[in-house]
Amino acid sequence: MGTLDYLLQGFGTALVWYNILFAFVGVLIGTAVGVLPGIGPMSGVALLIPVTASITGGLPPEQAATSAIILLAGVYYGAMYGGSTTSILLNTPGESSSVVTTLDGYQMAKKGRAGSALSIAAIGSFVAGIFTLIALIVMAKPLSNVALKFGPAEYFSLMLLGLGAVSGLAGKSVTKALIMTVSGLLLGTIGIDNVSGIARFTFDVPWLYQGIEFLTIAVGLFAVGEVFKTILEKEEEDGEIARINNMLPSKEEFKESAAPIARGSILGFFVGILPGAGATLASFFSYLLEKKVSKNPSKFGTGAIAGVAGPESANNAASGGAMIPLLTLGIPGSGTTAILMGALMMYNVQPGPLLFEDHPQVAWGLIASMFIGNLMLLILNLPLVKVFAKIIETPKKYLIPMIIAISIFGVYAVQVSTYDLLLLLACGVLGYFLSKNDYPIAPLVLGLVLGPMIENNLRRALTISNGDYTVFLSRPISLIFLIITLLWLVVPFLMKRRGKEVIINVEG
Amino acid sequence: MDLKFDRIASVLFLAVGVLFIIGSRQLTSSSYGSVVGPDIFPLVLGIALVLLSIRLFFETFQNKSNQEKKEKLEYKPFIIIFIATLLYILTLESIGYVITTFLFLFVCFQTMERSKWVNSLIISALFSGLVYFLFVEVLKGTLPGWPVWFS
Repeated sequence: MGTLDYLLQGFGTALVWYNILFAFVGVLIGTAVGVLPGIGPMSGVALLIPVTASITGGLPPEQAATSAIILLAGVYYGAMYGGSTTSILLNTPGESSSVVTTLDGYQMAKKGRAGSALSIAAIGSFVAGIFTLIALIVMAKPLSNVALKFGPAEYFSLMLLGLGAVSGLAGKSVTKALIMTVSGLLLGTIGIDNVSGIARFTFDVPWLYQGIEFLTIAVGLFAVGEVFKTILEKEEEDGEIARINNMLPSKEEFKESAAPIARGSILGFFVGILPGAGATLASFFSYLLEKKVSKNPSKFGTGAIAGVAGPESANNAASGGAMIPLLTLGIPGSGTTAILMGALMMYNVQPGPLLFEDHPQVAWGLIASMFIGNLMLLILNLPLVKVFAKIIETPKKYLIPMIIAISIFGVYAVQVSTYDLLLLLACGVLGYFLSKNDYPIAPLVLGLVLGPMIENNLRRALTISNGDYTVFLSRPISLIFLIITLLWLVVPFLMKRRGKEVIINVEG
Repeated sequence: MDLKFDRIASVLFLAVGVLFIIGSRQLTSSSYGSVVGPDIFPLVLGIALVLLSIRLFFETFQNKSNQEKKEKLEYKPFIIIFIATLLYILTLESIGYVITTFLFLFVCFQTMERSKWVNSLIISALFSGLVYFLFVEVLKGTLPGWPVWFS
């Protein structure tokens, strides 16, 4: 069967009524998550995993996995659309990948062009979304075929590369990021070792035998942590929502933004594929690129439409690009994709090269649903943007306690254990203090998800080589991965030492 | 950046690393059919964590120039909500979901902003009732619904 047949089958899956509903709910919640400052895509996705798990409980396993991932991915790319709304209208970015949009978007809104800025952002996001999907379809098969040839040694090195890249770019201090990564990996070793069957670090506590649940940690560190932050650092609410007059951009504006959208899509896509670099970096690079390419760079910062079109396309393209290493290699390149991967693994679906062969329904159903989801988002964001702008007025008074309640309900529904709830609360407090002091959280979650896989591949590789550690260096592909890992960690460090400013990825 | 926090954190991470090293030394070093036992991976990671936390400790002395800006933190609502959450968790299984959630939400709503207590009352009742109904009746999930001495 060719790729097209698979894709058609995927559409067959995605067009089942409940999957359309799941995609719709996903993008709707995603847009809301994007609009609300304080809840990023990471906590949004983490928070919804248990909810989707309980909703899909009645379906057969594979269909449940498909529906769940359709919804969760919808939250992820939906947030990229929603983030622009508040950046433009309020000058407050809903999430970090839309920070750059405030520069020109808010200026446009001040000049009464909020409508065109919003619709260009939505159109740009849509074009970028479709572009990355096509690229994803084209690249998925060849990439997973390459990945199928990887042995355990290559996999081990590749995963190290993923971890190294995320730690190298996350946060202000590489040391802190590495500490978080190692802590995540160590947390992953708790529980029964699945090679030898020996209980490790469990201290005979039955609750620890199955290991520390990734879901509890992720929801606690991200969602509850962010909630505590909002409570502790009460911000004075200010700013007025700019009026939206005319939704349709003029012909000139279309012309001006066509090229930035195209450039942003391509740039964002490639930045997104790179592990560690995410939507935030992509939008930042795109803004810089547009400023460089532009004939009159002085216009930027005063309401240039290219400064909205480029970054907004780029962050959407990056979120699509980030799906490629996740689906084809099984390596999440960012915090959000790590959470998506954890969600898939909860359904016993292992992302990676075998995904397209073992679970074509999941893989292609997801891809097809992303087409539908992007279309829905375009429709949702053009006429309904005024409704979404209202979401930001949701009083925090009700929102914050409800997020805690949903976290507790979600974790309890899946784990049915008070210990997990206590861990959740502890992680919330830890998450707040850690991220406040620049300890990035995404690497920890990534380490927790990848840890058992890294260890398995390490031990398999060493068993095959009879305990010879040079196997990682003697196999060329593995060696290349290790060298890139090293460079990724060392180069930013050297650049910092030479006094250069290194752009870091706040989103993780 | 709070240097004091970093110093304490580095010592704590160091302790965690040392504990993992000690813990992995006590595991059997080999398992059947495998050259590498279950102890190697956590052992190496533990050593890495120790080294990294030592480096973090020394880094805190390097950048002293950072000025600390004090920001006002709202400790009072945080502590109330934290204790409310803790009580909520601990009583969830004995008193049941509906009552605990209702009380928890109501307390938190009023802590966030002391106004419109009727609205808070209605919203917390709706939330706890709706979640319980949807999850238990519609989705057939398990939640401790009512107090244990009730049924």
